[in-house]
Amino acid sequence: MQELALIQPGGMARDEFLREAAQAEARREFEELLAECGPLAYRVARGVLRNSADAEDVAQEALLRAYRRFDRLRDRNRFRAWLVRIAFRLALDRLRSSKRREQRDTFWSHPAHQPPAATVEDLAVSNEFQARLDRALGELPEKLRLVLLLAAMEGHTIDEIAAIVGVSAGTVKSRIFHARKQLAEKLRCHAKTIKTR
Amino acid sequence: MPCENYKDALTEAAASGADPANALASNAKIAALRAHFESCASCRTAFAEEQALFISIDAGLHATANAEVPASLLPRVRAALGEAATPRRGWSANWLALGAVAATVVAIFAAYSVRRGSSFENPVSTAANTSTTKGVLPSPLGQILNPEPFASRSSAPHVRKVFSKNHASPETLASRNSLPQVLVPRDQEMLLVHYAGEWGRRKRAPLVAERAAEISLAPLEVAPIQIDQLDVKLLAEEKSQ
Repeated sequence: MQELALIQPGGMARDEFLREAAQAEARREFEELLAECGPLAYRVARGVLRNSADAEDVAQEALLRAYRRFDRLRDRNRFRAWLVRIAFRLALDRLRSSKRREQRDTFWSHPAHQPPAATVEDLAVSNEFQARLDRALGELPEKLRLVLLLAAMEGHTIDEIAAIVGVSAGTVKSRIFHARKQLAEKLRCHAKTIKTR
Repeated sequence: MPCENYKDALTEAAASGADPANALASNAKIAALRAHFESCASCRTAFAEEQALFISIDAGLHATANAEVPASLLPRVRAALGEAATPRRGWSANWLALGAVAATVVAIFAAYSVRRGSSFENPVSTAANTSTTKGVLPSPLGQILNPEPFASRSSAPHVRKVFSKNHASPETLASRNSLPQVLVPRDQEMLLVHYAGEWGRRKRAPLVAERAAEISLAPLEVAPIQIDQLDVKLLAEEKSQ
């Protein structure tokens, strides 16, 4: 059955109607992408901020910003890459301007926010290591950090990361390698300390 | 060769996930490291520790990067999208809009005053204007597209008087503003709006009516009909023939 539309030709200017129709189409298209890419924005933000509440705020802001500028994005296939960059940039800004950094560190040392461990001792070691790892991750250069986070996320191949970041696959591999190496250098002493306890 | 010389190769091998025990001999560094491991137990242990460190790092990164997304995120964003669809105008935009409205009101008032003055000064030209608009007929679509009443455009005093009653009537105002709505197939609504926009812009209906008045039609000439006399024969005569 054919779908009918009720319109008022004389009541609405043509340009206004076309604009509203275009807005409705963009909104529908954006909502389809939202379900797919919303979690990605959140995870990128959380990887930078290490705080769920802040990450949720930043992800929302990134998605709204992307929606407001959605009409400027000519190639909709680049939406993921575009959104990741917005979320990453906003998260970095939030991190820099945040006055609650110490509070966040306290928050992260809380056992309830860590993956479960087998014993109390393991739990303590795991929490400590995770906290140090997050801190070391935050000290990495931005380029290395984004690539490493995307590589650690499920379902991202090297080629996809290269497309998101806008560099070659070889550069992605190189950045992952150097990022992991730098993390190991920062965490090696800590790992040895834990082992000698 | 001392163990210190293998330190970088050991770290790189662990970072890249390569296993010297199973690595191809074509990689010179790895091959040298494998050869060293066969004679050095401490380097084997150090390599195992490096591998464990990288496994821990990867596990920690995985936990950080794949955090569970709060269920409230998407509903929050959808709710915020509704507000973002109608962005608030800033103070500057409001002042601009107010200024534009004020300017329009002043311009209309000025135009009305000038026109009124000229109609009192030159009643002949007013009558001529009226005669030119007499032949223009409003089409139904023209009325739809231009809600302004046809007669209100005329400057004839009697016409203005007639419609001045209607201005006071709220029913008339309501009926004038409530434009008809049309049901069209979903894929044709754009076409209709385009068509209506073009029609409203060019005001085609009055133009057609004006041209119709100019066309001089010649009287129709019909040639006289010629009817031949009927030749009626009797049946009996036909049979005999």
